[in-house]
Amino acid sequence: MRKWIVILIILIVVAIIGYNYIYQDHRDIESEAAEFVMSSDEIATKFSENVTLAEQTFLNKTIEVSGSVSELNDNDLTIEDKIFCQFLNQIKDNISIDSKIKIKGRVIGYDDLLEQVKLDQCAILK
Amino acid sequence: MKKITFLAVLFISLSAIGQDKYLTKTGTLDFEASVPSFEEVAAKNKSVTAILNTKNGDFAALALVKAFRFKNALMEEHFNENYAESDKHPKATFKGKIEGFNFDALSEKDSSLSVNGSLTFHGVTKKLDDIKLNIKLVDGQIVLSGSFKVMVSDFDIEIPKIVANKLSDEVSVAFNFELEKK
Repeated sequence: MRKWIVILIILIVVAIIGYNYIYQDHRDIESEAAEFVMSSDEIATKFSENVTLAEQTFLNKTIEVSGSVSELNDNDLTIEDKIFCQFLNQIKDNISIDSKIKIKGRVIGYDDLLEQVKLDQCAILK
Repeated sequence: MKKITFLAVLFISLSAIGQDKYLTKTGTLDFEASVPSFEEVAAKNKSVTAILNTKNGDFAALALVKAFRFKNALMEEHFNENYAESDKHPKATFKGKIEGFNFDALSEKDSSLSVNGSLTFHGVTKKLDDIKLNIKLVDGQIVLSGSFKVMVSDFDIEIPKIVANKLSDEVSVAFNFELEKK
């Protein structure tokens, strides 16, 4: 009888672990610590000089970028025409064009067409 | 004097080139490769760049593969690591031409045109012909939308046998671009 209870408990634990593995949560970029902190110029130069190397270094990493806002929309903004930052939700912070800001987000790659680095899941730090 | 004239002509022609471009940085691309009665295999990319040259109908789009978001985080991880290999191939691009594009003929009502071009994904370029799209001009924005189907096997992507029956080889892709004048 005791043996069966132990087996049952093991099965339940395995099922819970399995379920949590299959239905794990997405990364929460906002709560992650940034691996790189740099200005918009620095990272843009890294990408324009050597895309492959920059991709190896930054792709999928959480970074902090600072600079002034050059374009502002509901769900995205661009820093100095070089870094495109997309937000999961509408931007509610009180910022405007030319505001100096610091942003945290995930690097998703380099857009050759516009020569901009793209970040997603961004959050404004200040 | 000659120099000034030259510069003036250069600037005028440059600005003329600028005016023929419509673009978006936040186009959407959805794909779905679901099989009925199994878990949905679908993702959405909301940060696709697309540029249309309204003078000749040349069209280019670029989607960063890591920006595809799945409902299931594990599925997203597998997509990036095993199928799309987004560390090696971070970009998906399309270059083509909208046949018979005429800016002056656009109206607020959808009209149907087709686009020919080539799609590069996972390091493989495939020609796509005669993709139907709807096009309209609303509040100064050119809205392009449509869908097409591609085969996973055309892009050198192997589906392991163990998941082969949960994943369709035929992927339907839907796009929507609201292009603004630049």
